Amino acid sequence: MAAHRPGSVTPDVVRRIAGLARLRVPDPELPSLTAQLARVVDHIDQIREIPPEALPVGLPPPPTPLRADAASPGDGERALASNAPRLLHGHGVVPRVVGTAE
Amino acid sequence: MRGKRAGARRVERRVSAAPATAAGIAEDVGRRRRSAVEVVSESLRRIEELDGRFGAFLEVTGELALEEAGEVDRRVAAGDALPLAGVPFGIKDNVWVAGRHTTCGSRILAGFRPPGDGTAVGRLRAAGAVFVGKTNLDEFAMGSSTENSAFHATRNPWDVARIPGGSSGGSAAAVAARLVPAALGSDTGGSIRQPAACCGVVGFKPTYGRVSRYGLVAFGSSLDQIGPLALTVRDAARIYRVMAGPDPRDSTTSGEAAGDPEASLEEGVRGLRVGFLAEAQSAGLAPEVAADLARARQAFRDAGAEVLDVSVPRAAAAIAIYYVIASAEASSNLARYDGVRYGPRLGDSDLKALYVETRTAGFGPEVKRRILLGTFALASGYYEAYYGQAMRARALLAEDFSRAFASADVLVCPSIPSAAFRLGEKVDDPLTMYLSDVFTVPASLAGLPAISVPSGLADGLPLGLQVMAAPFREDLLFRAARAFERETAMPADAPPAAR
Repeated sequence: MAAHRPGSVTPDVVRRIAGLARLRVPDPELPSLTAQLARVVDHIDQIREIPPEALPVGLPPPPTPLRADAASPGDGERALASNAPRLLHGHGVVPRVVGTAE
Repeated sequence: MRGKRAGARRVERRVSAAPATAAGIAEDVGRRRRSAVEVVSESLRRIEELDGRFGAFLEVTGELALEEAGEVDRRVAAGDALPLAGVPFGIKDNVWVAGRHTTCGSRILAGFRPPGDGTAVGRLRAAGAVFVGKTNLDEFAMGSSTENSAFHATRNPWDVARIPGGSSGGSAAAVAARLVPAALGSDTGGSIRQPAACCGVVGFKPTYGRVSRYGLVAFGSSLDQIGPLALTVRDAARIYRVMAGPDPRDSTTSGEAAGDPEASLEEGVRGLRVGFLAEAQSAGLAPEVAADLARARQAFRDAGAEVLDVSVPRAAAAIAIYYVIASAEASSNLARYDGVRYGPRLGDSDLKALYVETRTAGFGPEVKRRILLGTFALASGYYEAYYGQAMRARALLAEDFSRAFASADVLVCPSIPSAAFRLGEKVDDPLTMYLSDVFTVPASLAGLPAISVPSGLADGLPLGLQVMAAPFREDLLFRAARAFERETAMPADAPPAAR
């Protein structure tokens, strides 16, 4: 996508980001959705006035601590059994997600 | 005859609606003056009788709650000292409770059952709390009015033509109507404090990292916190203390000792520096909010505080920063609702159609807007201009706050720019809706603890005052909030529609 210019949230841009987000926007909804998003983006554009070098001085935050890489009970099997539409040999059955065009 | 019967019923309702705080119930149940089963039965009776007017709950699990109340009574009889013994809670429906659904107010999660309690809920349970039901919310906690729930809107108990605020509007309405004495909400940009203010109850968002997010369905992971809605500052402090502390299941929880803010609650504000946020006073306040703020300034002076004005210059840009960062995180967090891991499997002729049809049918309009906004901010060609800039601006805002806390112990501003608006008034105007959170979003971006305390009624509608403190200074925050609570004239009775 081209670099953003103010006012450049167009129906075409909305269609393209909807494609990235795996959402379908029906044609009748496109004009009002475009207008709503353009108005929000116009408001957001004020943050672009901050010069990139205006970074606070000081230490970066400490890194997130990690726990030991060990298995612990999480009731996963019980949850799977109550939520999976279909189970086979104790495993949730999902649509094919590898070896497809997506 | 008819009139007489109606009058008798009113008297009975007024008696049964006697205010009962969480701390008061816990003391009664702990001393065996009342049983947990009696308290929970009364809460269930009020929900049955009154919630048709408000729509605060999505699911009420009376049988489970009564069983769990019986267990609390057995623990009390065995000598357990429980700080929340027999206290009925409503839990926002984006937080896991064992044996109940978690829908997030979304069709895409209809029927979903979590693996067990979230950490915060488990800690409440250990402290004697009982869960009577799951409360309504804007879908995935995205909204400021609770009109975005896929199931139904919630109404404000002070005026049922008006919104209760959001996204924790069900929890706020349930507490305001005295259906439960306390509830949990989640706050990403104000979703506890804004509805608390609209409904005239106390709502508290802890410092980011104080309360585990395990079992809270993710929206904006760098912002989300669980917190209480309650009738008093003391109740909010107690519920917070029970939930706070490190959790191996959430690596962002802090190891800082949570302390006991209830112990220093009555120490007052004499000598404390109370800073009034300068930017909030020049933001075109509604006249009733400006008058309310002037009364608050006087109340803090009367209580012995040193009152001053403090500037946080970049607070004015907070909504712009927030809607980039929260939406970007939401677009990433909600990628999992794809028909494979979660959601009904629609259009499964090919994988892309499965994703697109499941998400298009499963999400409501506001969630789609946020996902699109977040995807836009993260897209190639836009990332640096929006997400990169927002992250820089967020760091600068946090620095502004740390300078402000060098001159003030707590910061104060209104919780909401105006009293609760009418249902439907802003539903087609997202930007105006987003600006409802103008006073709550700055603390969220800086990770600060912040509380909304009822400050009184204007034309019969509640207003709220927000108190913010430096990270991990909940002790100062609760002291200042309690001092203000003592000085205000919020009626102790339930709103007329809930009597």
